[in-house]
Amino acid sequence: MIRLRNLLSLNCVLFGLLACWPVRTHAAPPAKPTFAKDVAPLVSRYCGKCHGPTKPKGGVTLTAFTDDAAVLKKRAVWEQVADNLRAGDMPPPGKPRPSPIELDTINAWLDAVVFQMDCNDKRDPGRVTIRRLNRAEYNNTIRDLVGINFQPANDFPQDDVGYGFDNIGDVLSLPPLLMEKYLAAAEKISEKALASPEARKRIFIVTTQNEESAKQILERFAVRAYRRPLRRDELRRLMRFVEMAEKNRDSFDTGIGLAMQAVLASPHFLFRVEIDPRPDDPKTIHPISHYELASRLSYFLWSSMPDDELFELARKKTLREPEVLEKQVRRMLKDPRSRALVDNFAGQWLQLRTLKEFKPDPDLFPTFDEKLRAAMLRETEQFFENIIHEDRSILDFIDSDYTFVNERLAKHYGLSGVKGEQFRRVSLTGTPRGGILTQAAVLSVTSNPTRTSLVKRGKWILDNILGTPPPPPPPGVEELKDDKEAVLSGSLRQRTEQHRANPNCATCHQRMDPLGFGFENFDAIGGWRTREGKHAIDSTGTLPSGQSFKGPSELRTILKKRQDAFARCLSEKLLTYALGRGVERYDRCAIDDIVKSAGKDNYKFSRLVIDIAKSDPFQKRRGKGGKK
Amino acid sequence: MKDLHVSRRAVLKGMGAMVALPWLEAMMPRTLLGAPAPALAPRRMAFMYVPNGIDMANWTPAAEGALATLPATMQPLAPFQKDLLVLSGLTLDKARPNGDGPGDHARAMASFLTGRQARKTHGADIRLGISVDQFAAQKIGHLTRFASLEIGCEGGKSSGNCDSGYSCAYSANLAWRTESSPVAKEVNPRQVFERLFSAPGKSDDKAARRQHYKQSILDFVGEDARQLKSRLGGPDQRKLDEYLTGVREIEQRLDRVEKTVDVVAPAGAARPTGVPKDYREHLRLMADMLVLAFQADLTRVATFVFANDGSNRSYRDYGVSEGHHDMSHHGGKKEKKAKVQKINQFHIEQVAYLLGKLKSIKEGNATLLDNCMLVYGSGISDGNRHNHNDLPILVAGKGGGTLKTGRHIRYAKETPLMNLYLNMLDRLDIHVDSFGDSKGRLASLEG
Repeated sequence: MIRLRNLLSLNCVLFGLLACWPVRTHAAPPAKPTFAKDVAPLVSRYCGKCHGPTKPKGGVTLTAFTDDAAVLKKRAVWEQVADNLRAGDMPPPGKPRPSPIELDTINAWLDAVVFQMDCNDKRDPGRVTIRRLNRAEYNNTIRDLVGINFQPANDFPQDDVGYGFDNIGDVLSLPPLLMEKYLAAAEKISEKALASPEARKRIFIVTTQNEESAKQILERFAVRAYRRPLRRDELRRLMRFVEMAEKNRDSFDTGIGLAMQAVLASPHFLFRVEIDPRPDDPKTIHPISHYELASRLSYFLWSSMPDDELFELARKKTLREPEVLEKQVRRMLKDPRSRALVDNFAGQWLQLRTLKEFKPDPDLFPTFDEKLRAAMLRETEQFFENIIHEDRSILDFIDSDYTFVNERLAKHYGLSGVKGEQFRRVSLTGTPRGGILTQAAVLSVTSNPTRTSLVKRGKWILDNILGTPPPPPPPGVEELKDDKEAVLSGSLRQRTEQHRANPNCATCHQRMDPLGFGFENFDAIGGWRTREGKHAIDSTGTLPSGQSFKGPSELRTILKKRQDAFARCLSEKLLTYALGRGVERYDRCAIDDIVKSAGKDNYKFSRLVIDIAKSDPFQKRRGKGGKK
Repeated sequence: MKDLHVSRRAVLKGMGAMVALPWLEAMMPRTLLGAPAPALAPRRMAFMYVPNGIDMANWTPAAEGALATLPATMQPLAPFQKDLLVLSGLTLDKARPNGDGPGDHARAMASFLTGRQARKTHGADIRLGISVDQFAAQKIGHLTRFASLEIGCEGGKSSGNCDSGYSCAYSANLAWRTESSPVAKEVNPRQVFERLFSAPGKSDDKAARRQHYKQSILDFVGEDARQLKSRLGGPDQRKLDEYLTGVREIEQRLDRVEKTVDVVAPAGAARPTGVPKDYREHLRLMADMLVLAFQADLTRVATFVFANDGSNRSYRDYGVSEGHHDMSHHGGKKEKKAKVQKINQFHIEQVAYLLGKLKSIKEGNATLLDNCMLVYGSGISDGNRHNHNDLPILVAGKGGGTLKTGRHIRYAKETPLMNLYLNMLDRLDIHVDSFGDSKGRLASLEG
């Protein structure tokens, strides 16, 4: 499968340049490129030597194709060509490669003819596999359903991660052990709920104890737990538990408790079900139901079930109306429950969750302790929270003149005048810091226990800020000799030149290493330094685009100008998280729209979220199968 | 197991701070004539996994044949020299790229018990194959309360990508129930303990009713799942199948619990309080849980993941501050290799702890260790080269007297690791012609 990301990073990968960063100034590709007119000459020039009529490499001949019709008869061959071209594998190193303009032409043609992607046409919204609640979602849902926050899912096995997040439908499996835990948790939750006055009030909406009241109690509970109205028969089947308890001369509570357990162990509660009218027909595109939309919104922004207001709008079938939807998103972002976006989205996007596993060497970093670790995490969390709550521009992530510190962190950063445990907003004007790239949490999770890592930091920026992840190193490549003596011999920059000397490494390391150098003034726990051992830190660099910088502030200024690349990257991450599936080629039109719209609204955070909520992949789905 | 004539509860014995139920000949089923069955203790099988390869220079014994002196890394195993088989030359071909590019760590762990090539995907369409422990569990799991036990000391990775385009599911799970369903492991020793020794069912009316209610809930949710499944498309149906399998397993266990005697954690038994901060302590508590489960015959099949492949854990408390994965790319440097060796030896010390426990427990004329087949190893040989041939593989225990231990055997190049598993399955009375990419059985394990 070809990922959208490959497509976006095409120029970078091919040329090993950050050449795709600057706004394209060259001519646009032809509006309706055809093979015969636009592509055939390029194929002949760049591919023909190896993939011609005689002794074609890999048995692949590309020069025999004459027009689009011929190409479409052997589409699989051209999908393979696209893969290889876009991954930078072809043409091989050392052979002449198409220019950026030529490449744009080939890509436009591949999209239009081979992949037949036309943003004006009926768009494929994709399809997400049924998602079970992950641990955070389970905990929050129980909190909001029952009214007791006791985190029963902390005992569940860890959820596996795919596409960088732990809420991906395809990856979330349900081993028997987890089923066992679900049943045990259901029992515990119902016991707690029946014994807690607050929870009782929420669940026992009537105080009488008869058949009619049991029906009312169970219907209300099941509707909220299943996040939709009950279907014929469902209430009747639940009522059997009440009858069973009665027959056994157990209490009314026992009967309600058993029915609650059944609801909490039911697949309708544990999975977020979305029903297709024709589940096996990939061509039937349909909007998801209003209730399903309410759940998509609530799990996206709160990692929890919808609240009464969302349920009510779903019932009235007005939630999908653009103004209503926009108003709801804004309300939800302001709600304290949007803290879940920090914990679960930012925690994974920025890899903050790995900070708790980071173990810097105490001999080299004696100031590091648990208080500092906690403060590092809190800074970035509060920074993210602030962007949500003040609805600031997402460009603040790259560069900002403020951050949040307490005394411990201020000391670590060399800022004076901050006293106490309390975090507060401080100005960074006149300091080398600004944005998440200079926050200690991010600088630490991209370091090794004993030293900084240029490559990890550079790769982190490509992966998470610019959205142009480098391909993994080819197998069998030896790592840099990066032991302590070598570092102290001051040859870091020289040693990284090895990367460039080897053509296997050069393309990618030209992109990663300079970015890493820009942040070398920050040590492995994010403290400022001007020397390492007896050598002065050299934080200058030149990007493959030719842009040069001296130190982190100048590099940030360059990065901040890559606003569309960043908006695209963040949109892709948010969309992945919102949908619970990887972003695919056919999502490109939706992402193009989101990025364009963000630019028109000063890159406000809420704009990205609103446009994701309005996008086709979020609002619609289709049956399985379909174009790969 | 219906006609047990001695209640296990009656024979609880102390085992240090922990108490569990020993297997006893008297507990074996009687023959039809009422005479005690021959004293054949059950055989148990477990797999232990360590990541990032091994410093092979200090692992592989110098000579083949009888284990004379142990190499440096295996020194902690000296008291168990006669209980070991060191197997050299085995290969995991399916951990190699075979056209899929980088990702050796994910593939190593994924193929270790499956002998299958992991489908390269970030998430959509995860595809591998059933693992040998689960294969065995599906055949003999009905004989014990738990079909299998999956434990480890690291959960999955909490964010980010795991290995070069492979979903984290591949590098966080050793056991796979089907080709698309990994079996998550339990990392909290308290949870394992509570699961093994859950509250005893009393045989009074109240308990019977409770059982009845439980069954009714399972019936209800099973019906929900079947109805729902019929309205869904293919990939969704597979998820509902996982759900239904879980329900079925619990039903079977309830059934077994009814028919077998109670297994309870006796008063005064040390219940682990949670995940210890100290890694050694964590590994040892998990080893205790494994011993308890085998000793009480609660399961006969287990997997125990010391750390997930690619783990960059720091072993600072044991002399290595740097990350394990970083060091495993030693680039031939002596200093780094020495650190890798230190980590390897630390792991082996914990294996020695486990073997010591197993050996201290008598079963008839033998020990619990004698009735075990424990495989310990990594799916990568040299962490620097990421090669998957000549793997570090250690077998401990005599498989109920069927393995001639105390030897180092070298097999021909490219002999599949899976071949070993066929020999092991034989010893559990599971006879199959192939598993994963096996090509026949290993010779000369019996001597």
